[in-house]
Amino acid sequence: MKRRVFVASSASALLGLGWGVRPAAARRGASWLLVPMDDAQTDHLKAYGLAFRALERGERTEWLLNYRFGSFLLPAGSATTRDASLNGVAVEPVDDGGVLAIRAEIAEGNMDAVPLEKVPKVAVYVPPNTPPWDDAVTMALNYAGMAFEKIWDPDVLQGGLKKYDWLHLHHEDFTGQYSKFYLNYAGAPWLREMVQRNTSTAAALGYATVPEEKKAVARAIGAYVEQGGFLFAMCTATETLDLALASPGVDISAGYADGTPVDPDATNRLAWDHALAFQNARLEPSPTTPVFSDIDGHQVNSLDRRQPLGSFQLFNFSAKIDPVAAMLVQNHRQVIPDFYGLTTSFTRRTLKPSVTVLADEAGAPWVKYIHGDRGQGTWTFFGGHDPEDPQHQIGDLPTDLALHPHSPGYRLILNNVLFPAAKKKELKT
Amino acid sequence: MNRRWCLAASIVLAWPALARAQEGGAARRAFDLERKGSYVEAAEAYRGVLAASPADAAALFGLERTLIAMNRLGEILPQARAALAASPSGGPIHGILLRAWAARGDMDSVRTVAQRWAAIDPDDETPYREWGLAALARRDASEAQRAFLAGRQRLGRPDALAAELAQTAIQQQDWPTALREWLAAVGRVPGYRSSAVATLGQAPDASRAELLRLLQAERGPAPRRLEAELRARWGDAAGGFEALSAALPQNRAAAIEVLVGFLEQIRNQPGPAARRAQAQTLVALADRSAGPQATRFRLEAAQAFADAGDKTAARRLLEGVATDSIAAGSAAGSAAATVVGVLLAEGKPEEAEGKLAGLGRGVTPPERAALARQVAWGWARTGRLGRADTLLANDSTVEGFAVRGRVALLRGDLATASELLTEAGPFAGTREEATARTTLLALIQTIDADSLPALGAALLRLEQGDTAEAMTAIERVADKLPPDGGAAELRLLAGAAARSAGRTADAERLFRAALEPASAASASAAGLALGRLLLETDRAAEAVQVLEQLILAHPESALIPQARRTLDQARGAVPRT
Repeated sequence: MKRRVFVASSASALLGLGWGVRPAAARRGASWLLVPMDDAQTDHLKAYGLAFRALERGERTEWLLNYRFGSFLLPAGSATTRDASLNGVAVEPVDDGGVLAIRAEIAEGNMDAVPLEKVPKVAVYVPPNTPPWDDAVTMALNYAGMAFEKIWDPDVLQGGLKKYDWLHLHHEDFTGQYSKFYLNYAGAPWLREMVQRNTSTAAALGYATVPEEKKAVARAIGAYVEQGGFLFAMCTATETLDLALASPGVDISAGYADGTPVDPDATNRLAWDHALAFQNARLEPSPTTPVFSDIDGHQVNSLDRRQPLGSFQLFNFSAKIDPVAAMLVQNHRQVIPDFYGLTTSFTRRTLKPSVTVLADEAGAPWVKYIHGDRGQGTWTFFGGHDPEDPQHQIGDLPTDLALHPHSPGYRLILNNVLFPAAKKKELKT
Repeated sequence: MNRRWCLAASIVLAWPALARAQEGGAARRAFDLERKGSYVEAAEAYRGVLAASPADAAALFGLERTLIAMNRLGEILPQARAALAASPSGGPIHGILLRAWAARGDMDSVRTVAQRWAAIDPDDETPYREWGLAALARRDASEAQRAFLAGRQRLGRPDALAAELAQTAIQQQDWPTALREWLAAVGRVPGYRSSAVATLGQAPDASRAELLRLLQAERGPAPRRLEAELRARWGDAAGGFEALSAALPQNRAAAIEVLVGFLEQIRNQPGPAARRAQAQTLVALADRSAGPQATRFRLEAAQAFADAGDKTAARRLLEGVATDSIAAGSAAGSAAATVVGVLLAEGKPEEAEGKLAGLGRGVTPPERAALARQVAWGWARTGRLGRADTLLANDSTVEGFAVRGRVALLRGDLATASELLTEAGPFAGTREEATARTTLLALIQTIDADSLPALGAALLRLEQGDTAEAMTAIERVADKLPPDGGAAELRLLAGAAARSAGRTADAERLFRAALEPASAASASAAGLALGRLLLETDRAAEAVQVLEQLILAHPESALIPQARRTLDQARGAVPRT
C-alpha cells in the first residue's frame, strides 16, 4: 500500500504519471478566451499562431493593444481550446461581463481593441533549397504555426508579389555582392552554391549580371510597397534593399560581382529619393570588408569599426492615435538585449526625416527598429539576424525557439505578421 | 643695420627647419582630419603636404587611405605620378600608382607599372603580387594567374608567389594545382601550412582522393604533415596519425609541437577510430615527455583506448602507470581505478577483484569502497548475485544501498529492492543514476507482488546486453500481471528494450499495448515513447496524431512539455536536434 502512495507522488513524475491542477481554460460557461500576453502567458510566440489560426477559421479576433502587453480576445470554442491545449498557450475564459469590464478598462487608458479581420497572405523571400533554420522570420512562423509561402527572384520579377499581403526579406544582399563574402570565403562550398545559383538565375531571367538582376528585384519590391504591400525586412535586406533602390544606373557592386569596379563617384551619385528609409549614406569601398555602407551603426565585420552590443528600448505609442506603431511594439519587455547581424542597426544620421523610430539604444548614434509608409503600403526594418543568437556566426547551430517561447525579440517579428490582419482604421502614424 | 642683417641671416638659416615644422603641422592636421572621418578635408590637407613635398610617403599613403574611404582612389593618380617623378625608385610609390590604375579599371597600365616596378627591384615579388591582386579584385583569375606566373618566371624561383597561385587555383576549383602550389609555399615558408590546410580542407569529396594520392607521391616531412592534417580535417584521424608518425621530427620539442597540433585537430572527433588515433597520439606524446606530464598523457591515452574498444592496450598502459614509481599517488590511484573499470568492462570481475585486493596505499578508503561497489556490480552482471552481496555486506553508504537495491532487483526481490532504492534516495551517484533509480522504483512499485524471479532474470538479461531475449522475457512477465498492476509499465520497458535493439516493429507493438486505458498513468509515457518512435522512423504524420491525442487526453501529465516538444519536431516547427 505504501508503494502505491509512492507511485502517486514522486516517482510518477518520471513516467508521466503526475497530476496537476486543471487550468482555468477548461472551465465551462465562458463566451470568450483571453490570451494574456503578460508574464502569465506560457508561450508568447505560439499565442500569435493561436490568433492567426482563429482568423483562418473565420473567427472574430481582437488584438487588445497595451492591455496586458498586447493580449488577444478570441471567441470561446472547442477548436481554439484544443489548439491552445496542444500548443501550450495559456488562455483565460472570460464571460460577457468580463469582456465588458475589459472594454471599460481599455476605454479609460492608453489602450485600444483592434479587430483582426483578414488572414494575411504571407510570403517569405528566400532562395530555393535554403534550410529553414537560418532566417528568424521563417523560424518564428514555423514555430508559431503560421502559414506562409516561399518566393524568390523569378516569382518577384514575374509579378508574383501581387498575391501576398505581407512580404518578408531576411539576409538577402540586394547589391548582388553575395553579402561581400566573395573574397573572404572563396572556395567555401556554400558560397560556390550561392554564386552559381544567383548567376544562373540572373542569366535565366535575362540579366547580364547578378547586381543588375537584384536591383530589378529591389525595384519590384519597392513597387509592391508603393501599391499597398506590407514589407518587413531584417538584417542585410534592410540596408541593401535601400542601396539597390537608391542606385539606378550607378555601379555600386565590386568587380568580382559584375566584372567592373565600383563607380568611383557612386556615393555621390546615389538617388536617395528612391529609397524607403535611408539617405546620405556612404558606401564601403573595400570589396573584402563585408560591410555595405555607414547605414549600419555596429559594422560587425569591420575590425576597426565594430561596436559592442548593448540593449534597445521600445518606444511607447498611443494605441488610440498611433495604432500601427503601437501594434508593432506590443511586448512584455521594453528593454531587449541587442543582437548582431550583417546589418545590426541604423545610424540616426542616415534616417530620412519621415521615418518612425520604434526602438533605439539610448545615447547611441543608432536605432534598431524603424517603420514608414511608401505610397499605399508600409515597410518595417528590424536590424540584426536572430534575436536569440546575439553573435550569430556562419555555421552556428539553428535556434530552437522551443527554448525561447517568451522571446521579446521574436515577438516583435510576429507583431509584424499580424499587423496586416488589423482592420484598416485611419492610421495617423 | 646690423640688426637687419642679423634678422635676414637668421631667417635664411632657420628657413628649412621652419618649412619642415610647417609641413609637419600640415601632415598632423591631415591625419587628425582623417581620424575624425572628415575625408574630403583630409584629402585636401594631404594634397597640400604633397604639393610642397611630392615624395612624402606618409602623406601619399594618407591620401590613399582617405580616397579609398571615399571610393575615389583613382583620383590619386597626379600625386602618385609626381611622387614617382621625385623618387623614381620608390617601390611603395609604384604600389600606389598601380592601385590607382586598378581603381580606374586600366589593367594595361597596371601591368606596365608592375613591370617598371619589377625592373627596379628584380628580386621582389611585390609588383607581381599587387598586379595579380588587382586582377583578382576584378574577378579576373586568368589575368591574376598571368601576373603571378610572370613573376615566377622573372624571379626564376619555382616557389615564387606559390601561395597566391594556390589561392587563384582554388578560385578556379583547380584543386591539384592548388595543392602543388601550397606545397611549394609551405616548403618555403612553413607558416603557410595552416592556410594550406584551411583552404584545401574545403575541397569537395570528389577531389579528395586525388589530392591524397598526389600528396603521397611527395617525399619529405612537409607533405606528410599536410596529408595528416587534411586527413584529420576530412574525418580520417587514423590515416592522419599514420601519415604523421612517418614524418615526426627527431627533435623532441619539435615533435611534441607537431603532435600537440595534430591532437588539437582530432580531439573532438567521435567514434572508435578517432579515439584510437587520439590514444596513439597521446602515447607518442607521453614517450617524448617526462614526469607527471607523461603520466597524464598515458592516463588520457588509456581512456581513449578503452573508449575505442581496445581494452588490452588500455590495461597495458594503466598497469604501467599504476606500478610506476615516478607517478604521483593520485595518478597511480586513478590508473588502478581505471584498470578495474576496464577489467569489469571486459567481463572479468574476478581479475578486477584481484586487482582491487592488491591495491597499495595510493588508493584512499573511499576510492577503495567505490571500486568494491564497481566489482560487486560486475559480479552481479555475470549472475553471481551472492558474490556481489558478500562484497557489499559492510557498505552502509547511500551508494551501497543503491547497488544492493539493484542487485536485489536482479534477484526478483521487489520488496527489498524497493526498500533499498528508496533508502538510497536521490543522493547516491550522479543525477543520471538517481533518475534511473527513481525510474526503476516507479516501475517496480506498480507491481503488487513482493517477489518476481522471472522479472529479475529478464532484467539480468537486459544488463548483460541481450536485449532481444530480455524484451521477450519482460513481455512474458507483463502478460501475467493485471493491466493496472504493472503490465503496462513492463510493456513500456520491453518496448524501450526493443527500440534500443533496433526492433522497431516490436517496440511499436509494445508501446501501443502500453497505451491501454486501464493504466492511464503509463499511457502518457507510452504515447510519448510511441510518438518519438514514429518520428524517428519518418512517420511524422502518425506521430502528430499520437502526440495530439496524448496531450488532449492527459493534459496534466508531467510529460506534456516533452510531448509538445516532440509534437513541434514532428510538425517541423523546431529543428530536430
